[in-house]
Amino acid sequence: MSDIEKKSIDPATIEMIEKAHIDGCETIFDRADVMKPCPIGAEGSCCKHCYMGPCRVPAPKKKEGALEKIRRIGLCGATAETISARNFARMVAAGTAAHCDHARGVAKVFLATAKGEVPEFQIKDEQKLYQVAMDFGIEIGDRPIREIAIDIGERALAEFGRQEGELIFLKRAPLKRQEIWRNLGVAPRGIDREVVELLHRTCMGVDQDYQDLLISAARCALADGWGGSMISTELQDILFGNPVPILGQVNLGVLKKDEVNVVVHGHEPLLPEIMVGVLNDPDIQQAVQSVGAKGINLAGMCCSANEILMRHGIPVAGNFLQQELAIVTGVVDAMVVDIQCEMQSLAQVAKCYHTKLITTSPKAKIEGAIHIEFEEREAQKVAKKILMEAIENFSNRKTNVEIPSHVADMVVGFSHETINYLLGGFFRASYRPLNDNIINGRIRGIAGVVGCNNARTTHDDPNLTLIKELIKNDVIVLTTGCAAITSGKAGLLTPEAAKLYAGDGLASVCEAVGLPPVLHMGACVDNSRILMAATAVVKDGGLGDDISDLPAAGAALEWMHEKAIAIGHYFVASGVFTVFGTVWPTTGSEPVSRFLFEELENSLKGKWGFEPDPRKAAKLMIEHIDKKRKALGIDRARERVLFDMAKRRELDAA
Amino acid sequence: MAEYKRDEKVAFNGKKVEILGSTFEEGKPETPMNWRKKLRNREEILAYLKTGERYWFSDEWVGSEKRKTKA
Ligand code: SF4
Repeated sequence: MSDIEKKSIDPATIEMIEKAHIDGCETIFDRADVMKPCPIGAEGSCCKHCYMGPCRVPAPKKKEGALEKIRRIGLCGATAETISARNFARMVAAGTAAHCDHARGVAKVFLATAKGEVPEFQIKDEQKLYQVAMDFGIEIGDRPIREIAIDIGERALAEFGRQEGELIFLKRAPLKRQEIWRNLGVAPRGIDREVVELLHRTCMGVDQDYQDLLISAARCALADGWGGSMISTELQDILFGNPVPILGQVNLGVLKKDEVNVVVHGHEPLLPEIMVGVLNDPDIQQAVQSVGAKGINLAGMCCSANEILMRHGIPVAGNFLQQELAIVTGVVDAMVVDIQCEMQSLAQVAKCYHTKLITTSPKAKIEGAIHIEFEEREAQKVAKKILMEAIENFSNRKTNVEIPSHVADMVVGFSHETINYLLGGFFRASYRPLNDNIINGRIRGIAGVVGCNNARTTHDDPNLTLIKELIKNDVIVLTTGCAAITSGKAGLLTPEAAKLYAGDGLASVCEAVGLPPVLHMGACVDNSRILMAATAVVKDGGLGDDISDLPAAGAALEWMHEKAIAIGHYFVASGVFTVFGTVWPTTGSEPVSRFLFEELENSLKGKWGFEPDPRKAAKLMIEHIDKKRKALGIDRARERVLFDMAKRRELDAA
Repeated sequence: MAEYKRDEKVAFNGKKVEILGSTFEEGKPETPMNWRKKLRNREEILAYLKTGERYWFSDEWVGSEKRKTKA
């Protein structure tokens, strides 16, 4: 295997890395070779929380004795444990802030929509509106949709600044889970409050008990999963529609040589939704013709892609590590970015070709990019302006154009509501068939495989190997984010994949229902959908009375973002065994890692795991699933025995 | 009534099980499966939520939580 082949298992990615080399364009794959991670920072042993430091307290190469332990402290006396836990907690706070600030933006647009202030947005999903109204305790009756929506918008926004009590969506969780949170004092009060408090706790000279820090981080993370992220998902569903099964295509091969290509990249669906709506505008179509293009091709990247894929079937050009490579094809006329996961290097790569890099969020500008700010009150005007920039740029393409031919079909759009409907049908929508098949052993368990790509490991390999291993062992996989895009590229998001890749038990269930063995549930804020699906399984019955009782596990083997740590920590705090790969940010402190990997299970009933080898990670997850099956008494598949009258009489007589 | 295909499969514990064969149509869906559009008005939506989404919206539903009192 050549050095380049070690960078990705995706042939389209390899082809474009090679093209970038020929074109003399540097990408993240090159920088990853040259710049190695700082070993002290990588293990979480560097503190720069005050400027008497930075203090570095790296873990000793050999087992430390009592004397060395004493020496591993910062100038202020902060121990290696405090430093490690503070660094971890800050990642949770930052990740939570990212998801929740996204949610705040959505809530503001939602309220403006309800008030009729942004006519280009509408309430599209009445069912979801009533769902959320009932959750929020808002009267429905005969009230106009607009009034209900205004109440929802105001209540949702109030969740951010709430000072006391509990976030409203916590009561969606299983009752036992709610008790666990309350007993531990980790039920989040308000979204902003938990982020601010955690940042305060991690300042120099505040919380210096590593266990307390990590438990507080759980409270903050829960404000993400059952707060900000859930608010994003729900309000986006009301505005743009709850996802339903839809066909889409994925990989760089979705780009078109003879069309104007616009790639939307980032996380917020607001602008991309409007762009989808104006693609057929006569002005746009006329402009496309005038530059000699055959059409205009909108494609997505990362989670913006997942959002418009799930709702409109818009093709996905790739996941996180393919963002620069889309530009390397030489046919992207504009890359339009909003917030999160956009590499600053896009500006440099765009310069190697003709691509216009356009930033749109007032919160996320990039030096060297064109800034066209998204203003929701003029959404269509902004969308058209951006598309016109791309169209004008079509004729500036250089000669070094090459689009990989790789493209795969996929069926996406499995919201937890849609899974419920598909499993049971219209008149008996239910998770019962899933629970029954878990109980009878055809499905061994459930796994959530989510998260990013990481340039420190082979692109797509850990996630794909893990997912294949899980479905082969009859574990159904729920996926979101870049891991979902990986699955799509490998052909795992089609019903036919069940026969090809899944174990016989899982394949039989998938074939009967017509489901893929890997269900694409959305963008990374939509991990909240996984929480809801897990809760529905608990509430349906027969598999314990808490998420921690389920034969289930989670993973993000290619994680890299602070958001992933926030997600992982809210899954753990919701009772899930969650395995991360590639790197682990607390290896500098054995007690901190032990607390996260083992001791947390005593209180939160969930725990972290770390395993870079995907096959070993699958083994860990399957062992955990089997342990839970055993605890539930379903470790041996039991065929249901139907008693006839004679047998019943025998029983009565006994 | 339609004839259902039956299949014999091996479960992960090694046991043979007879299962219902595939019931889905071959080919790729041309349009999204928009099941939510089947609900025509508020009354139907609320009735569906009470039954379909009973885990959260039905007072009677307790599932395996085995208690009606809120935590
Ligand atoms: S807070 Fe303490 S450990 Fe951290 S940089 Fe300052 S003195 Fe060093």
